[in-house]
Amino acid sequence: MPEGIPQNAGFMVAAYVTAAAILLGYALSLYRRTLKP
Amino acid sequence: MKLLRGGRWITAAGLVLLAAVYVRALAFTPIERFQGPAQKIFYVHVPAAWCAMLAMGLVGVAGILFLLLKDPRFDRFGEASAEVGTVFSLVMLTTGPIWAKPIWGTWWTWDARLTLTLFLFLLFLGYLLLRGAVTDPGLKARYSAVLGICGLVLLPFIHLSVYLFRTLHPQPIVLKPSAPSLPGAMLVTLLFSFGVFTLLYVGFVVQRYALSILREPAEARDHHA
Repeated sequence: MPEGIPQNAGFMVAAYVTAAAILLGYALSLYRRTLKP
Repeated sequence: MKLLRGGRWITAAGLVLLAAVYVRALAFTPIERFQGPAQKIFYVHVPAAWCAMLAMGLVGVAGILFLLLKDPRFDRFGEASAEVGTVFSLVMLTTGPIWAKPIWGTWWTWDARLTLTLFLFLLFLGYLLLRGAVTDPGLKARYSAVLGICGLVLLPFIHLSVYLFRTLHPQPIVLKPSAPSLPGAMLVTLLFSFGVFTLLYVGFVVQRYALSILREPAEARDHHA
């Protein structure tokens, strides 16, 4: 990464993982609920 | 059920394309010089906020149509859109503070934009709790429609809050009267993400709507018992 750019990639990774976990979790929840309504 | 299968396919396509958004945002979109990699949170935070507001807007429109036409399909759609909107609000409210910490130096501040988006999330929760608490289907649909319309009224205030009040939150850079102020590569990634999140919204809502139809006989039995 070029010099002078803030080193905060950890926050980016945390946000992307959180978003994916919420969306995948909800997709899975919907799938399970529609199997046994 | 055809509707359910359709919803599943749309959701599956949305999830695959979400992976493509991640690859494009993380590997093929330039890093912003002043904010660093944390700025890339933008590509999930803003589309999630868009979907949360779209969801509440459609809950409100469905509420108006239900009160006018008394068609239960609008009530069912409102319920589906509210649940999906809660999920996108949660994405917005978790990714926002993670972005705010390295840039603003704080996870949260009680300014107008942030407080109103939290209020939007609480409205979604209230809507779902209300539906769980009222057993009479007619009353449930009517109360829910009114609450959905309240949510619809809130949306312009959320959008305009960054102009009306002093806030740390940046002003819109795409949804504004003048042209979007983003470099081309970033704008393409953002628009791609907007499309994919909207597709996911549609897939989730179609599945949730189909689930309501599947549950209807059991709910009717419970009500008459």
